[in-house]
Amino acid sequence: MALAPTSAYVHVPFCRHRCGYCNFTVSVSADSQAEMYLLALQQELNCIDDIYPVDTLFFGGGTPTHLTVAQLEQLFQTVYERFPPRADAEITIEANPEDIDPNVCNVLKEWGVNRVSLGVQSFSPNKLRQLERYHTAATVDRAVKNLRGFCDNLSLDLIFGAPQETVPEWQRDVESALLRDPQHLSTYGLTYERGTTFWGRRLRGDLPTNDESMERQMFETSIDMLQLRGWNHYEVSNFSQPGFLCRHNQVYWRGEEYFAVGPGAARYVNTQRETNHRSTSTYIKRILSGVSAVQESERLSESERLRERIVLRLRMMEGIPIAKFESQFDCQLATVLGSTLEEFQRRGWWEICDGHLRLTREGLMISDALWPYVLAPQT
Amino acid sequence: MTAMELKYIRNFCIIAHIDHGKSTLADRLLEFTGTVDKRQMKEQVLDDMELERARGITIKARSVAMKYTYKGQEYELNLIDTPGHVDFHYEVSRSFSCCEGALLLVDAFQGVEAQTVANAYAAMEHDLLIVPVINKIDLLHARPDEVLVEMEQSLAIDPADVVRASAKSGIGIEELLSAVIERIPPPTGDVDAPLQAMIFDSHYDSFRGAITYVRMMTGQVRLGQKIRMLRSNKTYEVVELGQFVPQRKPCTVLHAGQVGYLICNIKSLDEVHIGETVGDIREGVSTPLPGYQQPKRMVYCGLYPSDGQDFDELRDALNKLSINDPSFEFQPESSEALGFGFRCGFLGLLHMEIVQQRLEQESDIDLVQTAPNVTYEVLTRSGETIDIHRPQEVPDAGDIEEFRQPIVKVNLVLPTEYIGAAMKLCQDRRGSLTKTEYLSPTRAMLSYHLPLAEVIYDLHDKLKSVTRGFGTMDYEVIGYEPADLVRLDMLVNGNKVDALAIICDRRDADRRGRAVVKKLKAEIERHMFEIAVQAAIGSRVIARETVPAMRKNVTAKCYGGDITRKRKLWAKQREGKKRMKSIGQVDIPQKAFMAVLETGETK
Repeated sequence: MALAPTSAYVHVPFCRHRCGYCNFTVSVSADSQAEMYLLALQQELNCIDDIYPVDTLFFGGGTPTHLTVAQLEQLFQTVYERFPPRADAEITIEANPEDIDPNVCNVLKEWGVNRVSLGVQSFSPNKLRQLERYHTAATVDRAVKNLRGFCDNLSLDLIFGAPQETVPEWQRDVESALLRDPQHLSTYGLTYERGTTFWGRRLRGDLPTNDESMERQMFETSIDMLQLRGWNHYEVSNFSQPGFLCRHNQVYWRGEEYFAVGPGAARYVNTQRETNHRSTSTYIKRILSGVSAVQESERLSESERLRERIVLRLRMMEGIPIAKFESQFDCQLATVLGSTLEEFQRRGWWEICDGHLRLTREGLMISDALWPYVLAPQT
Repeated sequence: MTAMELKYIRNFCIIAHIDHGKSTLADRLLEFTGTVDKRQMKEQVLDDMELERARGITIKARSVAMKYTYKGQEYELNLIDTPGHVDFHYEVSRSFSCCEGALLLVDAFQGVEAQTVANAYAAMEHDLLIVPVINKIDLLHARPDEVLVEMEQSLAIDPADVVRASAKSGIGIEELLSAVIERIPPPTGDVDAPLQAMIFDSHYDSFRGAITYVRMMTGQVRLGQKIRMLRSNKTYEVVELGQFVPQRKPCTVLHAGQVGYLICNIKSLDEVHIGETVGDIREGVSTPLPGYQQPKRMVYCGLYPSDGQDFDELRDALNKLSINDPSFEFQPESSEALGFGFRCGFLGLLHMEIVQQRLEQESDIDLVQTAPNVTYEVLTRSGETIDIHRPQEVPDAGDIEEFRQPIVKVNLVLPTEYIGAAMKLCQDRRGSLTKTEYLSPTRAMLSYHLPLAEVIYDLHDKLKSVTRGFGTMDYEVIGYEPADLVRLDMLVNGNKVDALAIICDRRDADRRGRAVVKKLKAEIERHMFEIAVQAAIGSRVIARETVPAMRKNVTAKCYGGDITRKRKLWAKQREGKKRMKSIGQVDIPQKAFMAVLETGETK
């Protein structure tokens, strides 16, 4: 039996409103649902067979900070009973700048939260409106100031490629973010997901979209800007000041296992991947009537696990430390990847450098087109 | 039964342009004569293929025997239902050989249309007595008087002979039945002469084997009788015979003049030749009927399983289909681009579409279809004439003495205000006008000689669009004529893609080449590398487009909850690539194989 996971994710499905681009599991209206949610969460946690101390804990959403102070306290209480954080644990919470007031900060501080990921998205009023976000740069500054009182590991989320956005505008957003002196930045190219209003609007053609070349230019611009300032581009969309990589997310990207609770939450425990039902009300109903909330589950074969791990690790810029990886997972990359290994090197999409197999800049840019060849054995 | 009683039999069919109410009239006749009672009535009783109902068209011929008492005498009225579409002309003419008369149905609003004229002429050629009918006279916008003029002008029909009816509301049905009895001559044929019956269609029943539809010409056939197929010279025993009412109703004897069916323990439809003569078991006693001309397949396309694994399955499905549709033929072929598949021959585009739909409905095979092309003829320098069913078969230019293409006579019937637009359409397609005829002050018929290749792709759609839906057309192949034709090859990243080659007029080659590569560029998704798409005649490239390499294709978020979904998505893309047939490493999607139909005309 493998060692139990030492990471846990808690999904809090509440938001002030649903943004046009978001397809996450969120509820926007029923605040009364929060009480039921906390009850169900308690119940789901009770069903876990043991108490598991964790090294990383991540409260994501939705917007966990949308809960009331009392509800937040209850959330931490409930979760820590099952997943007590170890002394040096990384405890992250996602937050909406609009929610961060001194009261919330007190709760976070009290419960040992030491990393906050702030959904800034942009500092430009125009772009924020496009993205259907209702805060301003001033809101962000207030939140940052409040958070600085207890948190020295602050991450900001930014979105690029909003409708009609230009490269200089995006550069200004990155500059503005840096001015707030964060330890970590996540930059996401705007994508259009099924089930969002943006998806429908784009299909109808009333949402002007940028072309691929411009999106690439934006993506490359931010990488160059941040690297020039000594930042570490350590995953496709993630940058950190030295030493501030997100420990929790690296668990995902190394193909390691983790617990997860809450609606739509996905866990990876004992080689099995499971996802809870995405609907908050169904989740509550199921859990409270004693039924499992698991909606999908799959157990991967050894080979699938290996291939998935290769993809995830290659999405980290460091790449795969070949010797270590091969001995740890008892495989030969040359065998697993077959002719693709050489073909992609020849075409300049990945390279072997310092004993690591890693994507080139070009490979990174088109990486989604590479993964099919890694995931499916060559015929 | 004596010869006397032949005079109480009438054999007839209904001919009409599509949607003029043929199936509804058949339904109403069945109901009025009490053949099918009202309770069991459903629409299009005679069309039992799902596809026929879905598309509102008749594809296979049927027959039904109705009993009707007229002036105190019981008559047997045999209605032979036939397909109306031009692709199925040969089925129509088969039905004609079984009848003495035809109801010519014309819509009281639409008036005379192209197929009305074509079918009426064909019926006249078979010496059928024509009972003209104006249908849908109760329509709000009916214009029966003008339509009468059109019928008189185009077909020399005496307005006094025209029965006014509405099949939908049952108006004029009784009058129509008396016209059938009074005007259509009874069949002739000596009941005492040796057996001579013609097979005009057949279908396959999984319990009874082949069920052959016959028109009794002379003599009689009884249950248990041994018979001989005069052409194949095979002998069988009649295990069941009868008539369709419209379901099978067995009887013990069929005699000259009647229409019915025979079941003879025939295991495969391969043994049943449409047009075959059923005769006496003793050799030399019965004489064979002239039989039908084998229909010529005018349109060919390649059908390939998307997944090479399904090749055998596709062959089985095609076999099964061809059992009930002898006019469709197929043979294995292979293409560098698409692997192993079949070259299939059809009577026309509708026929092709129908076969493809039936394949999809009746089997679960994902198909890649190549663009249709017509059958060309090449006279080689060595004096040999070869049929060209696909562009790859075209010999080197140096070996061609003469390149010929099929020419059709097209009749267009349309309101006069659209004559200009229709003429432009035909002239752009290198048509030559042979006749202009005014059916009435507001309607005209244009006759053109056009290359079939220009007709099959989209002439019908284009005609509909330039005439706001009012124009109709019909065509028949009249022969082959020499033309200045070339084979246009398509190259993807320097590799010739055989399934994309086309044959076209040299004067159109530049325009077609440019249009096709442009379309291909639009259909081929961006790859990880740049793709050159070229059109070439021989080694001369005449058009080129470039599909640029993809610039950015990267998933931004891949956290705990995204991994499973993303992995499945990526793995599936690989599967999709296999399905789309890789050429080198360029994936040409299925839709692109139809890109070669782009003509480059301004829309």
